[in-house]
Amino acid sequence: MELNDQIRINAPRARVFAALNDPEILRQAIPGCEELNALSPTEFTATVAAKIGPLSAKFKGSVALAEIIAPISYTLSGEGKGGPAGFAKVRASVALAEDGAATLLSYTVKADIGGKLGQLGGALVDRTAQKLAAEFFEKFNQLVAPAGEPTMVATSTAPAPTTGPPIWWIAAAAAAVAILVWYLR
Amino acid sequence: MAASPQDSKDWMGARLERKEDLRLITGHGKYVADIVLPGMLHAAFVRSDYAHAKIKRIDTTEAAALPGVVAVFTGDEFKDHCKSMRQPVLLPNLPAKYPLYYALAVDKVKFHGDPVAVVIARDKYVAEDAAELVVVDYEELPVVLDPEAALKPGAVRVHDDEADNEMFSMTFTGGATLEEQNKNAAEVEKIFQSADIIVKERFRVHRTGTTPMETRGVLAEWSPSDGLTVYNTTQRPHIDRLAFADILDIPAEKVRVIAPRDMGGGFGLKAPFYRESIVIAYAARKLKRPVRWIESRYEGLMNIGQERGQVNDLEVAATKDGKLLALRNRGVADCGTGQIGVYWGFVMPFLGAVEMPNAYTWSAGDVKLKVAFTNKACLTPCRAFGHFPTRFAIERAVDMVARKCGVEPADLRRKNLVPKLPYTSVTGEYYDSGDFLKVWDSLLAKADLPAFRREQATARAAGRYLGIGFGCGVELSGVASELMVPMENQPGYGAATVRLDPRGKAFIFGGDAPGGQGHETTISQIVAATFGISPEDTVITTGDTGTTPFGSGTIGARMGSYFASAVRKACDELKEKITHVLAHDLGVRATVEEFAFTNGEVIYARDPAKRKSFREIVERIIMFPVNLPEGEVGGLESTAFFEAAKPMICFNADCCVVEVDLTNGNFKIQRWVTSEDVGNVINPMIVDGQMHGAIVQGLSNAIFEEFIYNEQGQQLTADFEHYKLATAADVPAIEITYASTPCPHTPLGTRGIGEGRPSAVSGTLCNALCDALSPFNIEITELPIRPNVLWKKLQAAGAVTK
Repeated sequence: MELNDQIRINAPRARVFAALNDPEILRQAIPGCEELNALSPTEFTATVAAKIGPLSAKFKGSVALAEIIAPISYTLSGEGKGGPAGFAKVRASVALAEDGAATLLSYTVKADIGGKLGQLGGALVDRTAQKLAAEFFEKFNQLVAPAGEPTMVATSTAPAPTTGPPIWWIAAAAAAVAILVWYLR
Repeated sequence: MAASPQDSKDWMGARLERKEDLRLITGHGKYVADIVLPGMLHAAFVRSDYAHAKIKRIDTTEAAALPGVVAVFTGDEFKDHCKSMRQPVLLPNLPAKYPLYYALAVDKVKFHGDPVAVVIARDKYVAEDAAELVVVDYEELPVVLDPEAALKPGAVRVHDDEADNEMFSMTFTGGATLEEQNKNAAEVEKIFQSADIIVKERFRVHRTGTTPMETRGVLAEWSPSDGLTVYNTTQRPHIDRLAFADILDIPAEKVRVIAPRDMGGGFGLKAPFYRESIVIAYAARKLKRPVRWIESRYEGLMNIGQERGQVNDLEVAATKDGKLLALRNRGVADCGTGQIGVYWGFVMPFLGAVEMPNAYTWSAGDVKLKVAFTNKACLTPCRAFGHFPTRFAIERAVDMVARKCGVEPADLRRKNLVPKLPYTSVTGEYYDSGDFLKVWDSLLAKADLPAFRREQATARAAGRYLGIGFGCGVELSGVASELMVPMENQPGYGAATVRLDPRGKAFIFGGDAPGGQGHETTISQIVAATFGISPEDTVITTGDTGTTPFGSGTIGARMGSYFASAVRKACDELKEKITHVLAHDLGVRATVEEFAFTNGEVIYARDPAKRKSFREIVERIIMFPVNLPEGEVGGLESTAFFEAAKPMICFNADCCVVEVDLTNGNFKIQRWVTSEDVGNVINPMIVDGQMHGAIVQGLSNAIFEEFIYNEQGQQLTADFEHYKLATAADVPAIEITYASTPCPHTPLGTRGIGEGRPSAVSGTLCNALCDALSPFNIEITELPIRPNVLWKKLQAAGAVTK
């Protein structure tokens, strides 16, 4: 599976970069994310729950970051295991470009999907991943845009760290895809 | 019953409705899943998500703790307490690398779907839930998936204890010794050096096979006094019985295997001996409770039913006027892991290589085959056993020769068909009897080639592209011991017991295990015709090793050849005894030939007033065995074995008419015409059905069905959304003509039919497509063939502009 997209976020690049590395913002933005834990400055785990129809389940993923050039780009590799649902291995690269007062975020995700998950068919997985990515960015945009929403979390104004938690949404998207297809099998 | 002959001897050849259909279509069939035993437990397997990985740890704690779970077993259980699956009874007499393996994976998983653990629980739902709680910690290993890459030095090894991935290799030149083989190969080379016409192509056939309506099922029961009883979806219960005994180390007399009378299709897939059978039987013995496993469709598509999968580099030499001279082939087959007993994934390609020359006369041949281990599910047998890929290659190559010679392909085929049988092919295969030319001419008469060529020219002038294709196939019609012993380490003979009861009814017991082919009907017709009774007065029991004589199973079209012949032989032995006693009672000196068994009576031909009802004479011999002829004793039961000295064949020829839509590559099959030599026919409706099913399966394999593995060895086609089968809407009406020659080697002149029948279909279809597209010189060398493939070829050939 391969996903590419470019998203315009209504916030300056430094702020977007900081938010992408802010566990609290990410936890809020990732659909179904319950928990983010840092094992080391570049290794993290996440637990994502999803509820579809009458069913709910948890999916565990881990992610490692590399090639961090703040506030410009990352690469990320991760693995999500959905137990009997199968697994997903994800490699992604993310780049941020300034676009006036806003930021253009480009990403490429390549995922190897295995087990039952992989057998449900690329079309279904792709569609679901796209949908989850869209949900993430909508929420993320809400959280970081400078429209002065009262729900904005305080840490988003902190200076951009040079290292920090990863761009969770990718792992989470893979995890959530896994959960979704697990239900649909 | 639709047919009711005036004379009961006419039951032979009657279009009788199937005896079994009433119960099957009214929901009264009894399959493994319908058998429920008191205290029965249910099994669910945990299977590998990876194509190749070390098993670092298996944690069954959580699964075992789920309420309702009785036991969880992993590979070590079987390694420590059972023998391996590599037992002599499951080994062919062919030199190959036979990998050591156990009922569940030990240390390593070798394909996506490899069974790693099994959960036994009080019901299927608990078992499935618990299976999801088994945590397997894998260390992923690199995979090898392409058979040619697998054979290269330094390739990833599928089996650590084998030196390399070359499972099997063999040369077929018709020579018995290495010297003869080399001499024949040199002869082939000489022919190629001076031939007018050479066609050299790489033919590739994908992995495809069969998906019987009923998946596998195993129900095992253990009794301390009687031992093991297994209800198994199997085509060969007698072989299974020995395998259970040997692997589980149970005295053979304590094992009984029952293939239920109703089985929803086998098609070869239920002929091997599977690991799951051992797992279930072991669990039943260990837990002292019956255990049942019913395979899900998902498991089936992951693990079994996969065949074909081969690359053939074929060269054909011919004269410029279209006389075929020599063939040379280098085949590589993708065996998968090779971990399925009896066939080990390579016996099919072996036979496919032997069958490469097909029905044509060649001066010489040099056919080499290599079979490679890969990280895929092991090949399992499927109807058209082994030769679907080689038949595709040869039938396409013959058309290419015709095109190069500028000869009508149908004429070229006729010119090169073996004109007279018996004949031994250049690879050493024996063709016992029949008349290929008669079959061919009957096909051509029905197809009306000249009329088609006129229609084609008219259509082409109007911008429509019609094509006609031909193909043919020599198929094994029951395999004699001469070939079965080396190939499968099993006998070829057919066996049957016929028991008459005092009411004049016949009970027939056969060691085969049919899967819906209509044995109950055809056997009843043979018995009815022989004894002059009604098919209603017969009962057929198959598949139970406790009651039936030893048989190698329902495989390789053995019904019409071997089983039918054994039944007839047993009936004849009883007739001998009946007429001996009757002649004595009537006070005449007469042989069996002087009595007619007809319409429920046994009549002395020289004096028709002297007669007795079949029931009376049978009852007299069984119940009142006094005043018998000297030396005779009472009772009427006979077991007979039938064996042919050599393998027997049947022959068929196909013609297909297609129209291709140039704008999108779509094609429609307009006609499918066949001509068949099936020997004497017992029930034409059942024979028609075999042909319909076989041709549909061939089309489905060629066009739709495909097992797909991605680069990581993930099997992506484990449901019918992704493994697409042809439906009724996808296939044409089939026009059949029969041009049969009675088989001289069977008592009824019958032949076994239907097993190999799909093989000529793919070549015939592609020949028709290439004929339609001949203005663009498009040749098809790969399967599956689909509109998108044709569309690309049309674009590459400049036939269409986007």
